[in-house]
Amino acid sequence: MKTWFKSLAAVCTSVVLGFGATVARAQDKELNLFAWSEYVPQSVIDGFTKETGIKVNYETYASNEEMLAKLSAGATPYDLVQPSEYTVEALIKADMLVPIDHSKIPNMVNIDPKFANPAYDPGNKFTVPWMAGTVGIVIDTDKVKDDIKGFADVFSGKYARRIVALDDGREWLTWVLNVQGKDINKITPEVMEGARPTLEKWIKQVKVFDSDSPNDKLLTGECDIGVLWSGEAAKLYKENKKYKYVLPVEGTHQFIDNLAIPKTARNKGAATAFMNYILRPEVSVLISEDFPYTNPNAAARKLLTPEQLENPASYPPADAKLELFHDIGTLQADVDKLYQDLRGGM
Amino acid sequence: MTQILDSNDSPDISRRNPRFGAWLLMAPMLLWLLLFVVAPTAIMLVYSFCTRDNIGQVQLNFTLENYARLFEKQYFAHFAYSLLGGLFTFGAAALVLPFLRRYFPYRWGDAEFEWWRIAILCFVVGTFLVFNNEVDDVPGYFKTLWVSMRYAFWSTMICVVAGYPVAYFIGRAPERTRNLLLMFVMIPFWTNFLIRTYAWIIILSENGLLSGALQWMNVISAPLPILSTPTAVMIGLVYTYLPFMILPIYGSVEKLDNSLVEAAFDLGAGPVRAFSNVIVPMTKPGIAAGFLLVFIPAVGMFAITDVLGGKSQVLIGNVIENQFRRANNAPFGSALGIALLVLFVVTFWLASNRGRKAAAE
Repeated sequence: MKTWFKSLAAVCTSVVLGFGATVARAQDKELNLFAWSEYVPQSVIDGFTKETGIKVNYETYASNEEMLAKLSAGATPYDLVQPSEYTVEALIKADMLVPIDHSKIPNMVNIDPKFANPAYDPGNKFTVPWMAGTVGIVIDTDKVKDDIKGFADVFSGKYARRIVALDDGREWLTWVLNVQGKDINKITPEVMEGARPTLEKWIKQVKVFDSDSPNDKLLTGECDIGVLWSGEAAKLYKENKKYKYVLPVEGTHQFIDNLAIPKTARNKGAATAFMNYILRPEVSVLISEDFPYTNPNAAARKLLTPEQLENPASYPPADAKLELFHDIGTLQADVDKLYQDLRGGM
Repeated sequence: MTQILDSNDSPDISRRNPRFGAWLLMAPMLLWLLLFVVAPTAIMLVYSFCTRDNIGQVQLNFTLENYARLFEKQYFAHFAYSLLGGLFTFGAAALVLPFLRRYFPYRWGDAEFEWWRIAILCFVVGTFLVFNNEVDDVPGYFKTLWVSMRYAFWSTMICVVAGYPVAYFIGRAPERTRNLLLMFVMIPFWTNFLIRTYAWIIILSENGLLSGALQWMNVISAPLPILSTPTAVMIGLVYTYLPFMILPIYGSVEKLDNSLVEAAFDLGAGPVRAFSNVIVPMTKPGIAAGFLLVFIPAVGMFAITDVLGGKSQVLIGNVIENQFRRANNAPFGSALGIALLVLFVVTFWLASNRGRKAAAE
């Protein structure tokens, strides 16, 4: 919901600036950044503006599908978007991205080899990684005394109406498929039909759906268990050690969010400059401080404090069962339909 | 002859000129309607018959799929059930009413023609009640639409009951007090509606003001889970729309001729009778306006359900919003929007038709 304020503010600023721009022809001094909510620190934006004189308009979204909706509607010429790995695949397939100019991004060398040259974008032709993370379970150990190991324990029915969860169809389906021991990337209409009854049972137990800042509901005591992004969990852990992060035994999604330049971008130069800027170790550290996800920047990781590196939500153990998503093409629409039918028609 | 022709022509011209002027004056409003009502509705209508590709772009193919998704097949069985329920109540009414008339003739007067009207009313109410009961068992978008209308209806009812006395009191107060009281009603508008809705989180959350106060007074022992429940949504709806009920009723009350109320008392009516037979009928336009101003926006509301309902209380407005944003399915969102629009137009048309008939009688 915070996105509302932000989008409202963004709309207002862009309207005002839009008028200003036509008068002052300041277009090349602006960068329209379309990114996830709660993901880009103000300090990074301010630092970039201070150094380059380029004003950043930060507009937010809370799911990849929402970003695609606005991007394909084409009302705003976004210069930079922040898709996750499977959406990068989809965008490349749809020929909606501009290849990046590696000669202008010397800081590419800082990327951890594990995150460089990813399968979804061979050779980093279109993207640079922003942050990586997992989807997992947060437990308020003051209130929940059971040993929660995975999704099946969360949705056993015992915690009905005490759960806050992400509002994202693909994630939800993945949780069920993980419990059913199925391949999370082999989605067919039959697989979805098989997941439907469980999905329906689970969705009914949720008290709050929130992809923007789900940890609020745990902090206020409104919910006892959360299924959310690891960065949000890490923030909770930083706040209070009673919030325990559990990587589901059934396995879970590891996401890698990236910066990419859409074809409709007007200021590709500024977008490239921003990519290079955030890959500087000292800037990347600022992102880690505010949003403690897994930092894919090897040089930046050296600058992190031991406490930051020991946060179990930020840096999961090597043996965790993690898997990336792949683009599922037209089936994404069916996943959305399944999820929205269950959410909307209850 | 020419003079006559001239005198015939000139009024026409003089009439034509102000007409042109009037159109010019109307132009901004017509342009506004065209840009923000007609054009978007037309786009929505076209979209609602289209499909989407895998990244959500609208494809201009013709399909009825989006509308079919609104009506699941199971509904038809339930419609049939409901009609049966309605027929049953109709039959019961048709049997009972003649008896009632026989034993309580003084109540009914010359009611020879009235019984079938009441029976038809029974039929409609019976169908409604049975359908209302049935619909909860069938998940689907039609159910969401129905539930949204239920929320809107009850919040409107609460607004009438809570708003009427306030409006009446303000309308009858001396002028200086009246302006002050009116200002109190409007003060909330000085703050953005979303911010006010967020403020309710602080009041309603489990560690919030309401729960805390009740615990402190020993009324309850455990934190009260109100936030993210239907109750929270209802509180939000009533809170937001109450001024929209008070203001039009106030408008009617202010115009109320006091001598008619006095006459009612002089002619022996008690306070209840004077209220129900004189005051309410005379402030009916205000109530009707308030009803429309509250009910229609409440059906489509999605911000309150998002903020106070934790998105787990889903109304039709949320579904539509989601289709355009998260689900990335503008065609289906458009179909839902058009369905809602048609529903309003039909309701409005029926209501105004009835109003015209009543006026004719």
